[in-house]
Amino acid sequence: MLKKFVLGAALAFAAAVPATASQGTQGEHVQITGEIIDTWCYFSGVMGGPDAVRGTAHHTCALWCAAGGIPVGILADDGTVYMVLKWKDTKNVADGTSLLSVQTHRVTADGMLYERDGIKYIMVDDVVNDEGIVLTNHEDFGFVPPFAQPKNK
Amino acid sequence: MKKLIMSLAAILVATPAIAGDVDYSANSQAKSWNLFGEEKARFTGKVTDAICGLTGDCPDDCGGGDRQMVVIREDDDRMFLANKNGQPIFSGAAYDLAKYCGQMVEVDGLLVGDSDITPGLESKLLQIQLIRPIEDKDFAKTNNFTKVWAKKYPEAKGKGPWFRRDPAIKAQIEKTGYFGLGHEVDEKYLEENAE
Repeated sequence: MLKKFVLGAALAFAAAVPATASQGTQGEHVQITGEIIDTWCYFSGVMGGPDAVRGTAHHTCALWCAAGGIPVGILADDGTVYMVLKWKDTKNVADGTSLLSVQTHRVTADGMLYERDGIKYIMVDDVVNDEGIVLTNHEDFGFVPPFAQPKNK
Repeated sequence: MKKLIMSLAAILVATPAIAGDVDYSANSQAKSWNLFGEEKARFTGKVTDAICGLTGDCPDDCGGGDRQMVVIREDDDRMFLANKNGQPIFSGAAYDLAKYCGQMVEVDGLLVGDSDITPGLESKLLQIQLIRPIEDKDFAKTNNFTKVWAKKYPEAKGKGPWFRRDPAIKAQIEKTGYFGLGHEVDEKYLEENAE
């Protein structure tokens, strides 16, 4: 009886221990459609509410943040954000150049989904559709932040 | 049987404490940025890159600042995505963390995000303001981005903030404009909204 109890406790404990980095986690193949966003401005509110930090209004700021190595995400239609860790052939997505050309674009991406501690991560293998910039909101919000407006124009 | 019980006890002793009700803001020296859901947080953990933390693909240098980085908290093995360094200039934390790749550190900063406003995540993101290897006494500011950027782009040396001089940003704006829809759209808006 005691032996069964101890073995059961040991198994339950082992199942409850979180995976460590060296163990890795199992990914799942997914296809995600959504807008490429700057996750710092979106989640922090530093530049305003979530509607203002997407689309054309926020495009220049999104370029700045992506070039600064701030994590880029895909904002899916259901509101879920997938943090991008790989883009096609590169895992160097914080290098300041890899993701500039797709900022603010609405894309459909194939890749592997990983989830840990409340955050969804995607390693994009292929972009099966790139609709370009779809959300045009600069007439509503202007330049976000205002100092993104070009001078001498 | 006795050995089995002893082994189980040893495993339990060796396991990190569950975070539970730990107040990670208690000793924080982080400055407030007045952000959504902001909480100050100071904790110890291991630095690695996010892909390593998820898949076990772990280069020795964590990608040298080009991969996104995480801190895995010692207390509960919770992985925090490092979203921002301490500089208020559109800069991430990858360069600041990569130099501590594989090390145990103490970080001090902000956990950011409010799921009532932006429900896309079920966790907060980490902004790191201060960091120190656990064997060191003093914290360092996380302000390496501009130093690394300046070495990377010596031809972009000049006045004004880095993001107005960055060659890749300038090339992209030259190609598609400030709103990303082409220069005609920019010019039309600026004409209609001239002060």
